[in-house]
Amino acid sequence: MARTKTTYDVFSAIGEPKRRVLIEQLVLKEMTVNELVEKVQWPQPVVSKHLGVLKQVKIVREKKNGRHRVYRIQPEELRPIQEWMHQFEKYWGGTLDQLDHYLNNIQARGKNEHE
Amino acid sequence: MNMSKVEPSVIKRQFNAPRQLVFDAWTKVEHLNHWMFPMQGCTCEFVSADIRDNGSSLHKITMPNGHEMWLYTKYEEVNSPDRLVFLQYMSNQEGEIVHANPVPNWPKDMLATLTFEDIDENNTQLTFLWEPVDPTEEEIKAFEETRAQHESGWGAGMAQLENYLGSLDA
Repeated sequence: MARTKTTYDVFSAIGEPKRRVLIEQLVLKEMTVNELVEKVQWPQPVVSKHLGVLKQVKIVREKKNGRHRVYRIQPEELRPIQEWMHQFEKYWGGTLDQLDHYLNNIQARGKNEHE
Repeated sequence: MNMSKVEPSVIKRQFNAPRQLVFDAWTKVEHLNHWMFPMQGCTCEFVSADIRDNGSSLHKITMPNGHEMWLYTKYEEVNSPDRLVFLQYMSNQEGEIVHANPVPNWPKDMLATLTFEDIDENNTQLTFLWEPVDPTEEEIKAFEETRAQHESGWGAGMAQLENYLGSLDA
């Protein structure tokens, strides 16, 4: 079957709600495919397919543990996403914290330095 | 049904600074480069800033891990020192808007409305509203769903992830 292989980036990889569910589960603890299937109650090929995508963008890493393959999250890879998921409260809330620091700093430095 | 009204998200903050200074911090590059980023360890660089009614700006935020974000801002209203209204987009370094939000159907246009009010001569109240512009039904749904997620993150998982990321920063 000649089918173009879809390429994913971190953003498109987590655009699919099922993959977000898998990420949520794996953040809680590392698991095998069977353990994941049991948790989410989807057919095993569905779980494997989505895990494959997450592996491709390195959000999930596979590691051999005896005769099992265990899947774990690579949280650093999610960092760009995180900024967006919480954009308003996290992003702007954090940015307003910076503004607060900045205003306090420049005023402490001397009230004549800004116009 | 097309007139669906979306309740804006709101942040209210008080700043220990006069209103004019708080406002200028949003509109002058010599201020903006020092604070316009979401967390310590980031840097910000405005490469263009024409901050007035119908003007625009382009800035780059570099995250502590080196990840770079370009943000293009279109200003609808710059009314010193009372009100600032803008649309902000993820862009490339040419300032061309890219739609990279991972949330499907995320509203294309998000409007920020900032109101600055005196508490007294040295303290300012900022009210920051954030809402989609002329959203489609799908966009309203995406916005509302994401708002619900704001409270619980992605459930317990996201809270843990954040703790973990927090520990990486330390």
